[in-house]
This record gives sequence, C-alpha cells and structure tokens, in this order.
Amino acid sequence: MSSEVVQLQRRLDGVFVEAALLGGMVPNDFVLVGNEWSAERSVVMQELLQSTLPRQQWPQSLHWDWRRKAPELRLLEAAGFGIVCERQWQGVMLTKSASYVAKLAPDKGKPLVYVDFLEVAPWNWAIPEVGGSGRFRSVGSSLLWRAVEQSEEEGFRGRVGLHSLPQSEVFYERVFGMTPLNRDSAKQNLLYMELSADQAAKLLEKGK
Amino acid sequence: MVNINKSRGPSRDWLLGAADIEDGCRSVSVGGLAAELGMLSSGTTRIKPAFGRLIEFARRNQGLTVEKLAERADVDLAAILEIETDDRAVPEERTVYQLAQALCLPQAKLMELAGLATPKPETSRAALKFAARSEPASKLTRDEREAFEEFVKVLDESSDGA
Repeated sequence: MSSEVVQLQRRLDGVFVEAALLGGMVPNDFVLVGNEWSAERSVVMQELLQSTLPRQQWPQSLHWDWRRKAPELRLLEAAGFGIVCERQWQGVMLTKSASYVAKLAPDKGKPLVYVDFLEVAPWNWAIPEVGGSGRFRSVGSSLLWRAVEQSEEEGFRGRVGLHSLPQSEVFYERVFGMTPLNRDSAKQNLLYMELSADQAAKLLEKGK
Repeated sequence: MVNINKSRGPSRDWLLGAADIEDGCRSVSVGGLAAELGMLSSGTTRIKPAFGRLIEFARRNQGLTVEKLAERADVDLAAILEIETDDRAVPEERTVYQLAQALCLPQAKLMELAGLATPKPETSRAALKFAARSEPASKLTRDEREAFEEFVKVLDESSDGA
C-alpha cells in the first residue's frame, strides 16, 4: 500500500489538515469502509425521513454498499484509493485502467483511467436541510485529482472517463472541465463524461 | 508495508474553489457500482415509475410511515426507500413478495411492475395511466386516490383472470 499526504479543509474552522491518500487498497479495506459508513448512512436516512427535503434532492448514493464492491479489487486492472483522516475513511475511489478507451476526439481509441466508483463518506455530505454540513471539504476533488495523476503515471496523459450520477454532473464539468458525451443506456442512462489529455494538462496547470 | 511519499495534490486555492462546487452536489459520486450489482435495472422500463409510486401510495393510503411498513413487511428500510425514490431500482423477489403481503397487493402483478416478470399488456397500460395521473406528494389528492384505486382494481381483476 502506498501513502501520500493530501490536504482537506476542516469545515468547522476552515483549517487545512493533512490526510493520507492511500493507494493499493485490498478487498478487506472496502469491507471496512462499508462497515464504517453503514451506520452513518442509516443516521442520514433517518434525518432525511424526518425532513421535508424532497426525495429527489437526497444524496443519490445513499443506498450504496462498498462491501459488495470488494471482489472487484481482485481484478488486475482495478485500483482502490482512499483518503484517511482522523482515523476514518473520508472518501474512496475504484479505478480501472486496462479495458477502457477514450471516446472523445482527438484521443478517441486511446487508453484512459476509468473511474468505476467514487464516493465521499456520509459524514462529509453537505445536506444543510438536515443540519449536515459535512466535516471535511474537497474529499471528492482530491480523489478525482488522484485519478488524473494515475492516468499520467500509466502513460495515459491524464485521460479519465466516468459515468456520473446526476447530482454530480455539474461538479465534474465545472471543477475538472470534463466533457459530457452521452447518456449510456448500458449504465442506467448515466452521463458518460471524459477528460481529454489537453483538458488534463490544463487542469493540472491550473490546480498547481 | 506502507510507502509514504511527500505531499502532493492540488493547491489550496484550487481545492477551495472545487469544494464550493462539491458542496452543492450533496454527495459527489460516480456511478457503476449500482449498475453492476443489479441494484439498478439495466434499462429503465416504462412501467417502473408506477411500481415505486404504487408502493408509496399504498403505504400512505394505509397511513403507514416507511419505518412502519419496513417493520410490517420485514424488509430493510433502505430497500423501501430505494423503491420509492429510484425508478431504476430492481428490488429482490423476497422484498416484492413481502411488500405485496404487507400492503395486500397482488403479488404476481407486483412482480411485473417491479421488472421481475414480463409485464402483460394490460398491466403496462394500467401502470402508464396510473403513473401519468400521479405525482409524488405528501398527501394523496382526490385524483391521485382515484388513480390509485382504479389501478389496484385493474391489477386485482387481471390477477383473477390469470
């Protein structure tokens, strides 16, 4: 397992704190993440049930379970990344890098890193309507940034592809400059989005 | 063994801008898991919205909260929530069976609506009509109640003849 230091902003006081971005997660790590997050999911769910917030605005990953994704990590092309801060998993990402190619010109057909799954810990969700402001900010941004770096490390020049849940589409487009390509009927009509090599170069320059 | 590298990642300025947008998304997430685990359907069928809405209306019509229904049907709270809020959800057969029992709805028809059995044309027609006349709301309007009762009647009738 590898570890890098990244920064997260603690919402309570706005202070940036150091966190460990771990690579090389193993299946049991996903089980631990699932266990750690499931109780908090139930709490959030109960709070949402007692609120007047329309269900269309509830977090769309509310029902996910990382434990069921653990076997995926046995695949050779799969890589798991997680951010740990204050001894808890703050966000997790699963990428694949052998069987996916770019659809966006001029990189069409060239390999990319596909982000199969990414989620931020439930206690970091910003749901002000139920008093949930989130403990750490920018967890998702740090994880996806790592996917772009992984793409560079693998010689894919920063190319990244993913299927976004509807609530996150604006995030990938505005923060990372990804291009929305098509609704994918093979993936429940989720929007497929891609970061080209040129877009990745601009992103990494801008984010330095 | 853990290899610790030096600090990396984007600048604080970039992170602050990213965090502002990330906050607006509630839960930043990427799909794929739900798809591959069969938690969502491989393609949304046209009558799926009717299933979740029927469960919601039947529950509310009986004055049940989600928690109470979960308890009565012996089904996970999360499973009911998913059914009612996500048109693409594919519930387990046991869940549909338990809900049919708890809400006194015809089990076979419910399976069709849930996408677990091939829907008969009359079910599809009735479901589309029902879905078109109803919207998720905190209380059933008179029109919604009529639509609900009419739909259940059609399901009952077609079950009798099956």
